[in-house]
Amino acid sequence: MDIGVPETEHEIEIVPLEEPIPGPAPVEDPVEDPAPA
Amino acid sequence: MSELSIEPVLGWRLWHVRLHDDEYRLESFTMHHVSWPAGSRFEAGCAVHGGGAPVHQHECGIYAFTLRAYAEELLRRYIGVRHHYGREYRELPPVRQGRPIALGSVSLWGRILARERGYRAQYAYPYELFLIGGDEQIAREVRDRYAVDVSLA
Repeated sequence: MDIGVPETEHEIEIVPLEEPIPGPAPVEDPVEDPAPA
Repeated sequence: MSELSIEPVLGWRLWHVRLHDDEYRLESFTMHHVSWPAGSRFEAGCAVHGGGAPVHQHECGIYAFTLRAYAEELLRRYIGVRHHYGREYRELPPVRQGRPIALGSVSLWGRILARERGYRAQYAYPYELFLIGGDEQIAREVRDRYAVDVSLA
């Protein structure tokens, strides 16, 4: 991957308050069809 | 001295989407059979510097571009599409069926070495993915596995 020439390189230190990793997606409860009257 | 920030950097990159043990996983675009873990950060490693990657004056680290356009440009080069009727090709080109590619944004943090077109980072996790050459079922599997938004490109 051509990200540019090494001469332009500068350092950044990123220390997030919380790591940007999402938790598992919530499981949706199945929606029941309404019972016929 | 390096800049210090608490906000992750958002970069752009490509992944192969490949079946491993009946599960679709994101795999490095350039390093053969290096899978990105789901639910935990991907950490840069280096055969020379071990866990110290990325290191100045070396090529180790997790790569990402600053702009989506650069990732799209790499995709066109990868599948050999340069021009379309004499003009620069603007649409995302098709990939070989059954060999999906994900183009997407990625959170980068830890120690990052930034250049004018991209980054080499210590830690990364996908942020949002666009699936090229896949279908809804693969998109759903990747979405559930990595817990990020995945849509068909």
